[in-house]
Amino acid sequence: MIRTTRRKFLVASAVMAATALSLSVMPAQALSPRSEVGVTSTAIKLGITLPMGGSARYGYNQLPGAMKAYFDYVNANGGVNGRKISLVVKDDGYLPKQAIQNTQDLIAKDKVLAVIGALGTANNKAVASAVNLGRRGIPSLFINTGFSGFNDRKAYPTSSTILPSYIMEAKLMSKFLKETYPGKKVCMLYQDDDFGDDALVGFDKSHGNMDFAVKVAYPSLSQGVAGVPDSWITKFKAGGCEVQVVFGVASATLYTVLAAAKAQYAPKWVLGSVGADIGSINPATVPYIIGATSMSFMPSVVDPKDEYVAKFKEINTTYNAGAKFNSWALIGMNTAFVAVQALKAAGKDLTRASLLAAIDNNGSKFANAGLVPLNYSKTSNVGFNGYWFGTFNKTGDLVPNDTFTYTPYTTDSGTGDVVKSTYVRPAMPAKGLPN
Amino acid sequence: MRITSFKSRAFALVSTTALLATLVVAAPAHAAATGPTCDGATPVQTCTGTTSDGAAYKMMVPATFAGVVTIWSHGFGGNTTIPGVFAVDSSAQLAPNGPGQNGGSPDLIKYLTDKGVAVMGSGFSTQGWNLDEAVKTNAELIGIFKAKFTTTTKVVAWGYSMGGGITQAFAEQHPELISSAAVMNPVDAWGSQSKYFIDLLWLMKTWFDPSIKLTGYAAGAAGDMQMLGDLQKYTAILTALKAGVASGAWPTTSSASGKTLQAGGIPSRSALLMIGRLAGISAQSSSFDGIVGPPGAAATAWPLAYAPALATLENIAGVLGYSLLGARDMQNKMGGTSFDNQKTDYSKQLSDEDRTVYNAAFSGNTAIAGMLQTLSPLNPDAPRIKGDAAALAKSASTMYESTGKIKVPTVMMIGQHDPVEPAGIVQRISDLYEEDFAAAKAAAKKAAQKSGAYSAPARKLQVLWSVTPKSWSKFDADGAPISIVGTPGTGHTNFTMAQYKVVIDTAIEAAITGNLPWTGAQLSKVTKAKGLKIDRDTLYPWMKYYNK
Repeated sequence: MIRTTRRKFLVASAVMAATALSLSVMPAQALSPRSEVGVTSTAIKLGITLPMGGSARYGYNQLPGAMKAYFDYVNANGGVNGRKISLVVKDDGYLPKQAIQNTQDLIAKDKVLAVIGALGTANNKAVASAVNLGRRGIPSLFINTGFSGFNDRKAYPTSSTILPSYIMEAKLMSKFLKETYPGKKVCMLYQDDDFGDDALVGFDKSHGNMDFAVKVAYPSLSQGVAGVPDSWITKFKAGGCEVQVVFGVASATLYTVLAAAKAQYAPKWVLGSVGADIGSINPATVPYIIGATSMSFMPSVVDPKDEYVAKFKEINTTYNAGAKFNSWALIGMNTAFVAVQALKAAGKDLTRASLLAAIDNNGSKFANAGLVPLNYSKTSNVGFNGYWFGTFNKTGDLVPNDTFTYTPYTTDSGTGDVVKSTYVRPAMPAKGLPN
Repeated sequence: MRITSFKSRAFALVSTTALLATLVVAAPAHAAATGPTCDGATPVQTCTGTTSDGAAYKMMVPATFAGVVTIWSHGFGGNTTIPGVFAVDSSAQLAPNGPGQNGGSPDLIKYLTDKGVAVMGSGFSTQGWNLDEAVKTNAELIGIFKAKFTTTTKVVAWGYSMGGGITQAFAEQHPELISSAAVMNPVDAWGSQSKYFIDLLWLMKTWFDPSIKLTGYAAGAAGDMQMLGDLQKYTAILTALKAGVASGAWPTTSSASGKTLQAGGIPSRSALLMIGRLAGISAQSSSFDGIVGPPGAAATAWPLAYAPALATLENIAGVLGYSLLGARDMQNKMGGTSFDNQKTDYSKQLSDEDRTVYNAAFSGNTAIAGMLQTLSPLNPDAPRIKGDAAALAKSASTMYESTGKIKVPTVMMIGQHDPVEPAGIVQRISDLYEEDFAAAKAAAKKAAQKSGAYSAPARKLQVLWSVTPKSWSKFDADGAPISIVGTPGTGHTNFTMAQYKVVIDTAIEAAITGNLPWTGAQLSKVTKAKGLKIDRDTLYPWMKYYNK
């Protein structure tokens, strides 16, 4: 199908009709290149759809504010090749149908150059299919999901993810569990969908090779049904579980730890990065997860010596006044920081195609706060590829240790080994502005 | 859009009689070709007659007739008179009907004749799946008109639903007889359309009421009554499913497989949604958008977990009568069951996207696997339909299967969530056309390399999508959903007069100029008709028959 917007097509058609005679005798090579949607000589327009309202908004709604703050900071310092960046934000309530509509509006009405940082597996799968970004050449960059399916470049030729895949996460977690809790009965609660499917792959014989004494799958949304989390805990207790993995969403973590406390079930908790993300977790969870283990690819937001955290905090204070600097603020600002480098690398003749090519060609070298490398290339649309392990302190922040010394591990979504990372993070550019 | 209380109405679960009454059309009163006999009235004369196959026709020709005539093909009608329930009606149809109308909207007919455009159409000699018969009738009728009105220069074919399919088939087979076509929510080729209908019916029977007959109806009136009995059972299923949406309860008539799934904790709403996704019916409907939830804690969970099933229920109610009548009609025509699903792998009909997007509504991957397992051909509790060899052979050799090829300038219109003719029917035609158009452009560019001059090919297909509002579900003060009737972009043949006018105007303009209009003025007309989009960006899944 032709992938122009409706209005543009009709306007173009009108012009074609008006000049039909001259066009019919015009050499094909005489047609001049068109300007790109979402780009003018002074401006670049980007868009994002994510839950800003509704029950899934916690934490995630910090993303756009932080992204805008960084773009404003860049704009105040001259923009990208003289262009100021704006970000159109749409609330999808974490609903696929709304995400489809929002994305269509971002493209057809707001006329954005690219979608950036959109959230969620189901939403982005629905969008990719119904809006058909790939065939239309519209970039959807740095999607906030770890679902490995998006790493299929044929199916998602213009999309990229930024989170490590859930398969990678499960592989790393397997290594951690086997090394930290040898001989212990390890049990797992996981979400019974793509998210959990990825985890099962990562834990299976040919990947993480992790055995669980008890595995319980929960259908998404069932975690909030009275009595359901209690039934999980009953199974785990009956199985004699000593270490409890939760590979679910933040609300599942909350209901699980509450039900465990009620049942006096006190295992060692190992919480997946999604369900224990302190930015999106209900504050009521915090007292129950102090000392629990989890994982991150970004530095701790309370790291007093990290130069990226320090600079991003400073920008957040100035350009995102009143907003707390939490893990999603850090991810949002870092995403914007990476995006600016991609826009710069795309050059002055910025187009959707040149933006995608810039990420393919240079994305793995973009400076950023991540403690593991970005993996963008002509054959990979995967962002980060590893994690470090830490524990939750009394304020609910994930820290590696008292000295904030990180030991990150990396792997792939296949059967490659889990290895200690040798990645050396590029230094923060002067003033936090990419060269 | 009218809003009524969800609680007080069995939303769109129409009664058997009312449902069948909507499908009544045309009687096969066979007669020799007659007419046209014209009344000579001014400013518009009316001519009547019958074609050689006995189809009653009607023509309305203005005194200002400028050479353009439209030929209308009406929608699906029951092909069997059931005493006391309905009788077949063969009256000629000239244009789309407005609410409560038959024969064509007088407003639309006047709109056209005021422009100097003549209108004609027949009632067809055969109802039911009458594509082959109707194409012949239309070809003959065009000849009759041209012989009578020799100044005729352009013929524009149009139709909706079954008539949309007839119009498309006519344009494929007789492009020499027409100058343009307007195809509205067309039926798909029979192989695809019948799979859609019977997949829905078989899946419901398999899980919710195995006593439903569905195939092997007796001949004549006895078989008609068996079909009506089935219709009542299907209606009872939908009523029970609606009652069980919140609790997850299954109909008491459910099969052993259904009861096993119920015992496994899978709510009936998940099974209902699975049926819809496997068959390919939309999960958005007139009342349920999958976007808006009741205020409060369920605002996100409700549209994810409940709305898709309720939308499926509402849409199945909208297609049920057509499905059964279609299945019954084809059995009569082919002399047996011309559908066979013995080798169908239903698990492959669940798309990867659906598996993810509706995962919560399905109750998770484990539930999905459990449901699909019961549909295995090896499950004796889910007996497959075995087609009759002779009927299958007859169907394959005699039924015209539309190719979807565009041979004359064509404007199409379809609702995003039409439950009877899903949007994927037009999507497929559009996709196929885009391939042809891309090839034509490539050929033109290649030619330009030799000649040094580029002559762009004209685009021959314009699709007008009837779209929904951004969101439309409503809830009462208690948080209960409110039934909504007539939401744009949903329902079958749910178009406005303004939309019909822009469609036929576009086709007439294309007939006169030889090309579809793609100008700003056309965009303005489409915009003014409200609720329509020329959109080649949104994608709708093809019908399951194409395994794409």
